[in-house]
Amino acid sequence: MVALARKMLLREWRRFLPAILTVCFAAMLLLVQAALVQGIFGSAAVYVTASAGNLWAGYPGTQSVSLGHPIGGDVATLMAMDPEVDAVDPLLFVDGYWRAKHGGDVEVYVSGVDLQGHGLVFHKLLTPALRQRLMEPGAVIVDRSDLDQLGAQVGSYGRIDGYPVHIVAAIAGLRALGGVNMITSWNTATGLDHTAGYTTYWVARIRDSGKAAQVAQRLNHHSDFGPYSVWTSSAFARRSQLYWLLDTGAGVAVLFLAAIVLLSGVVIASQALMAVVAGSAREFATLNALGVGVRALRWVVLELAAWVGGLGLLLGGGLSAGLLWLAHHNDVPVAMSPAVAVVCALSVMLLAVISGIAAMRALLRADPALLLR
Amino acid sequence: MSTTAPVFSLEADSISKSFESGAVSIQVLRRFSVSVRPAELTLVAGPSGCGKSTLLSILSGLQAADEGRVRALGQELSGENSRTLERFRLKHTGFVFQGFNLFSALTALEQVELPLGYMGLSRADIRQRARQALDEVGIGHRGSMRPAQLSGGEKQRVAIARALAKRPQLLFADEPTSALDAVSGQTVIDLLRRIAVDHGTTVLCVSHDPRLIQRADRVLAMEDGVINRDWRPGDTGSRPGMHSDDHTGALPFQGDRR
Ligand SMILES: Nc1ncnc2c1ncn2[C@@H]1O[C@H](COP(=O)(O)OP(=O)(O)O)[C@@H](O)[C@H]1O
Ligand SMILES: [Mg+2]
Repeated sequence: MVALARKMLLREWRRFLPAILTVCFAAMLLLVQAALVQGIFGSAAVYVTASAGNLWAGYPGTQSVSLGHPIGGDVATLMAMDPEVDAVDPLLFVDGYWRAKHGGDVEVYVSGVDLQGHGLVFHKLLTPALRQRLMEPGAVIVDRSDLDQLGAQVGSYGRIDGYPVHIVAAIAGLRALGGVNMITSWNTATGLDHTAGYTTYWVARIRDSGKAAQVAQRLNHHSDFGPYSVWTSSAFARRSQLYWLLDTGAGVAVLFLAAIVLLSGVVIASQALMAVVAGSAREFATLNALGVGVRALRWVVLELAAWVGGLGLLLGGGLSAGLLWLAHHNDVPVAMSPAVAVVCALSVMLLAVISGIAAMRALLRADPALLLR
Repeated sequence: MSTTAPVFSLEADSISKSFESGAVSIQVLRRFSVSVRPAELTLVAGPSGCGKSTLLSILSGLQAADEGRVRALGQELSGENSRTLERFRLKHTGFVFQGFNLFSALTALEQVELPLGYMGLSRADIRQRARQALDEVGIGHRGSMRPAQLSGGEKQRVAIARALAKRPQLLFADEPTSALDAVSGQTVIDLLRRIAVDHGTTVLCVSHDPRLIQRADRVLAMEDGVINRDWRPGDTGSRPGMHSDDHTGALPFQGDRR
């Protein structure tokens, strides 16, 4: 069987280039946009995703990590009593204003971590050396890309709501959404906020991470410990990201843009494909005269579209990977989860297939009776 | 469907065909009848626009007549749906057109193999048939060439091989020489005739080119949708037509001058 579609593509790739490039650009737009959205809104959950806990206990109805309220210390006891729970650490979340040198205040989110605890909170960011440096009273760690905004360098002294602090390190991966994240010791954080005996979150690690949802549900069934809720870390992270995605209207904008990209992709790619098919209309018509069914010819067009989609996706995917790598190395917040990548790829293939179906109209011009005129 | 071996492999009985062109309707064929024999090259000759191509498309099952009946290889084509006609064409017919219609991406061998792939033949069978067909039309050595590397005459021979490799019982050619120079044209028409004789194929060729007349076994001179004359150029005298319609009278035809 002569692989007509493949041979046409291989030997006449120039004819298909407009369609392939269209798919490539659509793939790039979708992927880069998705990566930016995930990168930016992913930072809304950096506290969760950079930590090692499986469960988070916080004030009931908390929409996003940075919007927490104090909960009681006895929730930690409750969590620690569960046989599955293996370690519990607090996270004290304090909101404040950094007084920038050259005027203007910068909103800062201070995360106070327990340096004597199990090291669950910001497990992925805090090396033992960094923990050591946080021991110093007033020591804070910031994201290196936030130094400009703070008008400070590593070693700078400053004040948060009047309380003196000292930037001891600048790291990557701590960017916040709409403010500046700072990590401090629990003691420094309590110095900023005097709700003694309270914390914002309790973070727990369990022995079998597969049981997270089950344990969270079990822990939520004790009403006599004051107001609190327990979420699995993945649920809490998703909740935080979705809150910002929806609250800022970015979610709708992103979907709208994706729809426009796909729609214009279909229009352009189908036109380009149709031109190719119409350019071979006489040959297709001759095949039909020789008895090759219209159905089989449609399959050839669909196969062409699938190849165009696959090649465009490969090209677009490769270019996007390069772009995202560059962005990442320049501290632009980007991230890509496998699930989102698959959704983007499927959308692009769908674009190609729909274009192929639209391009089948060009086969109408391949009526063999027309060859005889 | 009849099972008796027919004397005629193609028969049109009182077919009519008209086209709507805007407000006017052009009647191309009116109660037209014709019968064609196997193992010979039948040429329908006549000026442009007289309805030759329309006749060919109806006889080959590419187009339906408005009225009348068409029998090909003893099978009734009139009234069949397009799927059935496609299946019939796949099994029994080959086509050669004026414009070659070869895929620019494919080599000569692949052009010939392509339709065979839809006939349910084995890979080895396809390859063998394609090579044999290319050899038979005399361009076996050009099998790896693409259309851009072939001359017009060679391209038409690839197109003939593409039709021939299907081993059709019916071979239709519409102006197969009109895009070719005189020498290539002769080669092509001789090839078509040899296929008829060697394989017992019914070859129906329509053309406005009067140079083909002396190469055909039988010539039907057509004008304005009517056959004026029906004769065998090889014979000393003109034989009467073998069908009994009333258009076989010996009216002069422009191509009959030599
Ligand atoms: N699909 C069609 N629609 C309208 N007119 C047609 C169509 N096909 C053929 N005709 C007309 O029918 C007449 C005969 O055409 P055709 O059979 O192609 O003649 P020939 O092949 O002898 O040159 C011409 O006048 C042509 O314009
Ligand atoms: Mg014609």
